[in-house]
Amino acid sequence: MKTKILILTIVIFGGITILFDACKKSDEHAISSGYHPTYLTFKIPAGWPTPPIDIFKNNPLTEEGFQLGKKLFYDGRLSKDGNFPCASCHQQFAAFSTYDHQFSHGFNNSFTFRNAPPLFNLAWMKEMHWDGGINHIEVQPLAPITDITEMAENIENLLKKLSIDTAYHRMFAAAFGDTTINSQRMLKALSQFMGSIQSFNSKYDQVKRGEASFTVAEQNGYTTFKAKCNSCHTEPLFTDNSFRNNGLSIDPFLKDIGRMRITGKSSDSLVFKVPSLRNIQYTGPYMHDGRIFSLLQVVSYYQTGIDITQTTLDPLLKNRLSFTNQEKVDLIEFLLTLTDDVLLHDNRLSQSK
Amino acid sequence: MSGLFLSNCNKTTTPKTGTIKISFRNLVGTQPILLDSSIFSNKFGEKYSITQLKYYISNICLINDKGKVTEKESYHLINQSLPASLSFTFTVEENSFSSIQFLIGVDSLRNVSGAQSGALDPLNDMFWTWNSGYVMAKMEGVSPQSNQVGRKIAYHIGGFTGVNSVLKTVQLDFPIGKKLLVEQGKINEINLEADLNLWWQHTNNIKITELPVCTTPGEMAKKIAENYSAMFSIKEIVNN
Repeated sequence: MKTKILILTIVIFGGITILFDACKKSDEHAISSGYHPTYLTFKIPAGWPTPPIDIFKNNPLTEEGFQLGKKLFYDGRLSKDGNFPCASCHQQFAAFSTYDHQFSHGFNNSFTFRNAPPLFNLAWMKEMHWDGGINHIEVQPLAPITDITEMAENIENLLKKLSIDTAYHRMFAAAFGDTTINSQRMLKALSQFMGSIQSFNSKYDQVKRGEASFTVAEQNGYTTFKAKCNSCHTEPLFTDNSFRNNGLSIDPFLKDIGRMRITGKSSDSLVFKVPSLRNIQYTGPYMHDGRIFSLLQVVSYYQTGIDITQTTLDPLLKNRLSFTNQEKVDLIEFLLTLTDDVLLHDNRLSQSK
Repeated sequence: MSGLFLSNCNKTTTPKTGTIKISFRNLVGTQPILLDSSIFSNKFGEKYSITQLKYYISNICLINDKGKVTEKESYHLINQSLPASLSFTFTVEENSFSSIQFLIGVDSLRNVSGAQSGALDPLNDMFWTWNSGYVMAKMEGVSPQSNQVGRKIAYHIGGFTGVNSVLKTVQLDFPIGKKLLVEQGKINEINLEADLNLWWQHTNNIKITELPVCTTPGEMAKKIAENYSAMFSIKEIVNN
């Protein structure tokens, strides 16, 4: 009861309208020591669906938490040899994917196993990874941090490195109320930064808001998109966040079976996450293993490349898709309207100078 | 969490509480475990030594004929290499109890709730980073019967959803006529033993020659979990 009164006090005196039903213990502890974070509100664009879970429910979004998360995201010390911050594979100018790389480069001259996905609108993503193996944004960073082909670090070493930097003492205290540096706080701060990366300011969005209009080609492409692509790459996220087999043949070297690796079910063989098409201009090469290098080739793949003999092929693709050449060109014109220049150049998301 | 109060508790007065101390002693048969050195033999005559042994105990309840009392934030990692982890205490209101119940592993909710701390910190090396979820129980060692590099054996038993769940609830009744009597200012002890040889044989036969390694959720992990779910027994109840 005492906790509730304290929380209520914060709400009233902080003038905050939205209260996250969370972190009661740490708030209570922190209030006595003069902890006054600046609470932020996560905005859901008008007309968008409600995220499947509130990723900030147990991790109240604050300016201090966001800034700490950003520092961590750009800090090479999260990797074993200091060379691979999160941002090395998730580059802002490529919508936080790896620009122009089929696979990313990791520790000790290694390639990653799959194409690095872009990072935006993660609050709507119930599972992360191409195979959906990660069930919560907060535990996502553990995968690249510990993977020997990525950052190759262990959590204990990493926390030791952070704890000798007084800037982190200050920032953890500002974000969480005291100088304790632990994995939970590091992961929650990273989640605050990653979860705050949003894409809703592309030309497409401006058209939807009545602030711009499509060219004739873009409009024709949009019509084709709605007829042939929208059932999986559903607006406004441009993914339904489901897992499907789009008929790519298995790579004989990678032997990547997709979601079956996680669920163990043969029905999930060659099944992968449907990626968002937002910012697709900069997120290539395409597909889970980056095997297709241009948008025209992607569209052509759906017309002639799908292996329709695969037993787990998504039923929507069993007859492949058909496009006229004009439709293909217009469709690509439309896809380019999904580029969000605000996201690509937002200083707030860039490494602090 | 349902908290520490039975339904008939009187909320207007401060309840009197006593302390419960629960201790785990891991054995093979009756032999104590010295990591890296003791050599054991399972029911199939296969020799093995243990280099690492950890398991989660969570959602501990004490039970009497009126209901049950659940420990708050009840997550404990038993780690054979850390003696301090083999026992822990918590407080409950004055009462008497005849059974204890707990989960071997971490309940499914905490497997999907993001970054955790304490016993559930991924720092404890009991969390799968590429397929989110806790390793509920882990045994590693060496056996001449293993066909793996270094003759290693490794059992990382996990999986919390649907058919792959290895979560096991254990209920142990205290010896007849031996109730746990919780009184203010006293420490009552529940001393448990775990016979690790049951990992290899109880309802299922697990031979090292056939399965030296099991590190993914699935059928074999479930069989091992069924086996080890029977490994606990009450050694003694001490009302101090």
